Amino acid sequence: MKEPQGNYIREAWILCLILGLIMINFPFIHIFNTKQLLFGMPKLVLYFFIGWPVSIAVIWLFVRYIERDSQDGSTSLQDKGDP
Amino acid sequence: MISAKSVLFMSVISPTTVLLVSLGYLALLFLIASYAEKCRKTDNCLLKNANVYALSLAVYCTSWTFYGSVGKAASNGLEFLPIYLGPTLIAFAWWFLLRKMVLISKQQNITSIADFLSSRYDRSTLLGAIVTLFAVFGITPYIALQLKAIAQTLAILSMPVTAPDTGLYDFTAKLPGSIDIAFFVAMLLALFGVLFGARSLDASEKHEGLVVAVAFESLVKLIAFLAVGIFVTYGLFDGFIDVFQRFYEQFPERRDLLLLGTERTPYTKWFTLIILSMTAVMFLPRQFHIMITENIDEQHIKSAMWKFPAYLFLINLFVLPIALGGLIINGGDTTQADYFVLTLPMSAGQPWLALLVFIGGLSASAGMVMVSAVTIATMILNQLVMPIILKLNVKAQNISGLLISIKRLGILGVIFIGYFYFKIIGSSYALVNMGLISFAAVTQFAPAVIGGLFWKRANRKAAISGISLGFVLWFYTLLIPSFVRSGWLSSEILQNGLYGINLLKPLELFGLRGFDMYTHSLFWSMLFNLAAYLTLSFFARQTESEEMQAERFVDIFVEQPTQPAKLKRISKAPTVMEFVELMSKFIGKKPAQAAIADFLDNQEIDAKGNLSDHEIPNLKSFTQRTLAGHVGAAPAKIILENYLSARGSQMEDIFDIFGTVTISHASSREQLSVLYDTAQIVSSGGDFQKISDNILELLAQQFKFDLCVIRFLEPESMTLMVKSLVGSATEHLGQFERNLNMDTYIGQAFLSNATTVVNDVDYIDKPLSAQHMKRDGITCLAHTPIVFEGDPIGILSAFSKTTKGIFTREFIALFENLAGQVGIAWRNDQQLQKLLRGREQEREMQIAREIQKTFLPANLPDQENIAIAGLCVSAHQVGGDYYDIIERDNSSYDLIIADVSGHSIGSALIMAETRTFIHARMESIKHPSEMLHALNGYFLKDLDRSDQFVTMFYLHYNSLTHRLIYSNAGHNTPLLWKSRERKIVTLDTEGMIFGIKSDISFEQKATDLEPGDILLLYTDGIIEAENKDKVFFGIERLGKLLEECDDLHPQELIDQIMTQGRMFTGMRHFNDDITLVAMKVLK
Repeated sequence: MKEPQGNYIREAWILCLILGLIMINFPFIHIFNTKQLLFGMPKLVLYFFIGWPVSIAVIWLFVRYIERDSQDGSTSLQDKGDP
Repeated sequence: MISAKSVLFMSVISPTTVLLVSLGYLALLFLIASYAEKCRKTDNCLLKNANVYALSLAVYCTSWTFYGSVGKAASNGLEFLPIYLGPTLIAFAWWFLLRKMVLISKQQNITSIADFLSSRYDRSTLLGAIVTLFAVFGITPYIALQLKAIAQTLAILSMPVTAPDTGLYDFTAKLPGSIDIAFFVAMLLALFGVLFGARSLDASEKHEGLVVAVAFESLVKLIAFLAVGIFVTYGLFDGFIDVFQRFYEQFPERRDLLLLGTERTPYTKWFTLIILSMTAVMFLPRQFHIMITENIDEQHIKSAMWKFPAYLFLINLFVLPIALGGLIINGGDTTQADYFVLTLPMSAGQPWLALLVFIGGLSASAGMVMVSAVTIATMILNQLVMPIILKLNVKAQNISGLLISIKRLGILGVIFIGYFYFKIIGSSYALVNMGLISFAAVTQFAPAVIGGLFWKRANRKAAISGISLGFVLWFYTLLIPSFVRSGWLSSEILQNGLYGINLLKPLELFGLRGFDMYTHSLFWSMLFNLAAYLTLSFFARQTESEEMQAERFVDIFVEQPTQPAKLKRISKAPTVMEFVELMSKFIGKKPAQAAIADFLDNQEIDAKGNLSDHEIPNLKSFTQRTLAGHVGAAPAKIILENYLSARGSQMEDIFDIFGTVTISHASSREQLSVLYDTAQIVSSGGDFQKISDNILELLAQQFKFDLCVIRFLEPESMTLMVKSLVGSATEHLGQFERNLNMDTYIGQAFLSNATTVVNDVDYIDKPLSAQHMKRDGITCLAHTPIVFEGDPIGILSAFSKTTKGIFTREFIALFENLAGQVGIAWRNDQQLQKLLRGREQEREMQIAREIQKTFLPANLPDQENIAIAGLCVSAHQVGGDYYDIIERDNSSYDLIIADVSGHSIGSALIMAETRTFIHARMESIKHPSEMLHALNGYFLKDLDRSDQFVTMFYLHYNSLTHRLIYSNAGHNTPLLWKSRERKIVTLDTEGMIFGIKSDISFEQKATDLEPGDILLLYTDGIIEAENKDKVFFGIERLGKLLEECDDLHPQELIDQIMTQGRMFTGMRHFNDDITLVAMKVLK
C-alpha cells in the first residue's frame, strides 16, 4: 500500500519537472510574448514573476505532503527503486 | 524624483571608511566561522539548521548575479532570467536526484564532483584527472571575475567622476608598495580558505566555519540587494508600474527589450540558458561541494527545495526595476549598467546604502572564491597530486602532514592564479563571458553523472570518452571564439575555419549556422558527448569491480538483500595493526586510530582479538573508504592495491558451496537443501562411487529427473564412461561409452568446457542428438562439465521426460555447483588413492630391502691367515651395489664387488640375478676372467633391454700360496697396500663393463701378497662423495687413509673410512650407495 505511494510521489516530481520545462519554454511562453501591457506591465514579465512563486508554492506543498507522510511513521518515501 | 543631472553629484565615501568597513566585515566573517567551528561538536551545531543549508546553496549567486543581472537586463532584457529559472526547475528533481547523490557520497566518502565521477566509474584515476583539469580550466578564470568585481566596485565607490581628488589612486597609494586592494582581498580570502576549508585532510568531513560564513554572506547579499531594490523602486520611483511606464514613455524604441524571440534573445538561446543553469546548479564544483559534500542531513534537502528557489526569486525581484530605472536616470546609457546597483544609491545621495551594496557584492564574490578555491584545491590534491605521489612511491613514514600542506598551497595557488588572470586579461571578452562559459563546461558532466546514477550499464570507457569529447568541442566552439574576440588569436580561424576548412569554423561547425554561440556549442558538445557515452555504454564491457560500483550507485535506495557469504578472502592478509599503520601514513595517527576503533566496534572479533577471515575483506574496504574520504576514491584504490600486492596478499576465490548461487527470494527451498545435502555427502568422505550415486539420487529425487548420469573421461580411448547412473536408462542414454565430438551435446559440453542446456528438444540443432532424444522421449536436458584444475574430467547430466524449461539461469548455477562438488569429491578420492598407493609401495620397498640385505654375506670370522670385512650402505631403500666373499675351501676365497647402475627395484633384481649366477656356477668356473666372460654372455640380452649396466671386479686369493688372481669388468680399481714397500698399488686389467658387447675377453692378472698387505675394494659411492663445495672425496684421500690405517683391522679400517667420508661431506647420509670390502693378510 505504501510502496505505490512512494512511486506516485516520484512520478509527480518528474511530471512537474517536465511541465515546468514546457511552461518556461517556446512555444508556451510565446502566448505571453506580446507588446500589450497588463496593469501597465509587460505580460511576459508578469507571467514569469507570478508563475515563479506559484511553482515555489507547488514545491512547498509537495514537501509538506512528504513530511506529513513521513511523520505518519511511514518510510515509504525512501524510494524503493529508481525510474 | 531625480533627473539625469543628479549623477554629477554623487556622494563619495572616504577610502579609509570603505577599507575599514571591508576589513571589519571580513573580520566578522572570521569570527562567525570560528564560532561555528567551536560549536561543531555541541548540540547546537549551526549546520544542523536547515536554513543554513538552504542559504549556503545561494553561493550560486556570485557578483555575476549581484551586479551582472542588472547589467544584462539593461542591455539584453529578460536574458538574465533563465539562469535562475533553471535551478528552480531542477529543484523539482532534488528529492530523487540530489538526495541520491548525497546518500551515495556519504556512503562512499566522496569529496568532489571529480571524485564522484571517478568513484562511479571504477574509481578511475584518469577520469578524475580529466574532470579536475576541465574544472580548473573552466572555473579558475571565474575567480578572476569575482576579484575584478571587488576591485572595480571599490574604485567606483571611492572615486566617482565628479570627485577626482579623492580617487582610487590616493586610495591605493596608502597601501604599501605595488600591492593593490584586489591582491589584499585575495590574500584574506586565501587565508580564510586555508583556515576554514583545509583544517584537516578529511575532505569528506564538514567545514562548519566555511559553510556558516557562506550562509551568512548569502543573507547579507540578499538584504543588500533587496534594500537597493526597494530604494530604487519605491524611493526613486513610485513602484513597479511607474518604472515600466516611464521606461516605455522615455524609450518607446526599446519596447522589445522585454520580449523574447527577438534578435537579441532568440528562443533557442533562452532554452540553452535554462539547460546550462539547470546542470550548473548541480555540477559546478562549488555547488556540488556545498550541496553534497557539506550536507549533514538529507532531510535538509526538503526545505532547501523551496527555500533556495525562493531566495533566487527574491534576489531577482528588483533586477528589472533597477535596470530600467538606471536606464531612465542615465539617459539610456548601458556602458555602466553592470554597476547600476552601486551608482544609483550613490547618485541619489545615499552613500551608506551604497556601502551596504558594496558589502553585499563583496559577500557574493568572497563566498564564491572561498568555496571554489577549497573545492578545486581538494580536487587537485586528490585527483592529480595523489596519483603522482603514489606513482613516485614516496617512502616517508607519515605523509599526512605533507598532504595537508599541499592542499593549503593549492587553495593559495588557485586564488592567486585567479588574481593573475584578472591582472593580465582582466577586461578581455573571454573573462567577461567566463560565467556562461564555465556553465557550459560543467554541463559536460551531466550525462556521466545522471547516467551513472540511474543506468548500471554506463561504464568507465563511456564516461571518459563522453567527457573528453565534450571538453574538446567545448574548447573549440566556445573558448577559441572568445580567445579570438579577446584578440589573442587571429580571426582567421573564425572566418575560414581550422586549416581553411570551412566546415571547421568554430562558430559554424559542420555548416550549422544561425545560432548563438552558446546554443551552437551546447548542441555540438552534447551531441558528441552523449553519442560517445551511450554507444560505449551499450557496447563496452564492465569489469567485475566496475559492475559492483555501478550497483552501489544505482541501487542506493534499494534495500540490499543479505549478502551471501563473500566469495573472496585475502591470502596473507595484513593484520588490523598493519591496516592502521597504512592509514596513519596518509591521514595521520590519531584519525586512523579513531577510525579503526569505530570499525572494530561493529565487528565480530574472535577470542584472540583477531578478525575472522571473512571480516578482513570488510576491513580492507573500510580502509579504502576511509582513505577515500581524505585522498579521493581512485588514489585510495591504488594505495590499497599496491599495499596488498607488495605483501604478496591477494583477493582469492574460495570455494563456497553457497557462494556461486545467488540466494534470493526466488531460490526455492529445495534448491538450498540440495546444496546443503550435497555438501554433507561430499564432506562425509567415503567411497567416490557411493558419493556420486548419492548425489545423483538426491538430484533425481528432488527435481524429478528421469535420468541423472555422471560420466568420466577414459583417457586411453578418449571416451566418456559412465561412472554412476540413477533413473531409468534407455538404450541410448544409458550407453556406457560416449565419443567426444561436437555432434552431441555431451561432447560439446566437454570440449567447450561449458554447460550445455536444451530446455526444449523440439528446438535443437544437432540432428544426431535430436533423433535419440525423440526416440527416448526426452523433453529437456543439461550437461555440465566436471572440472579439475580448470580442465574437464567428466560430465554431469540430467534428463527429464516430462517437464520442459526446468533449466532456468538460477537452476543452471545450482547444477554447475553440484558438478563442482562432484569434482571436489573426485579430487579427494584421487588424493586418497594416491596416499594408499604410496603406502603400499613403501611397504613393498621395505620388504625388498630386507631381502636384499640377506644377499650380502655375513662377515667372516677372522681366519688363520686373513681377516676380511665388508659393508654395503644403500642410499635408498634398495640399492644396486653388491659384494660377496665366498670361501671355496679352507684356504681359497673369491672376492666380488659389483655396481649395477641405478637404485631401483630393477637394479636390485639384476644384483640378485648376478649373485644367483655366481653361486650356481661357482663349482664349474674357477678363474675370475672366465666368470666375468660367462656373466657378460648371460647378461648381454637382459641389460641391453633394460638400459642398465653392471661393473664388477672379481678376485681369487689363495691364502696358502698368497697368490691373488684378479679380473676387471670396468669397475673402480681396488687399492693394494704393500706393507713392506709402504706404498699403494692399484690393481687393474683390461675389460669392459657387462652388457655392451658379446664375446669379449677379460684379462686376468696375478700378484703375490705378503703379510701386512691390505686389499681395499670399493664402489664409486665413496670416491664420488661430494662436500658442499662440490669437491669429491677422491681416490687420493682414500689411499692416504689406507696408508695411515695400515695397522687397523679391516673392520676398523672400513669404519674409519665411513667416519672420514661423513666428516668430509658433512652429512649423515650419502647420496649414492657405498660398498667397501677390505682384506688383510695376517700371515
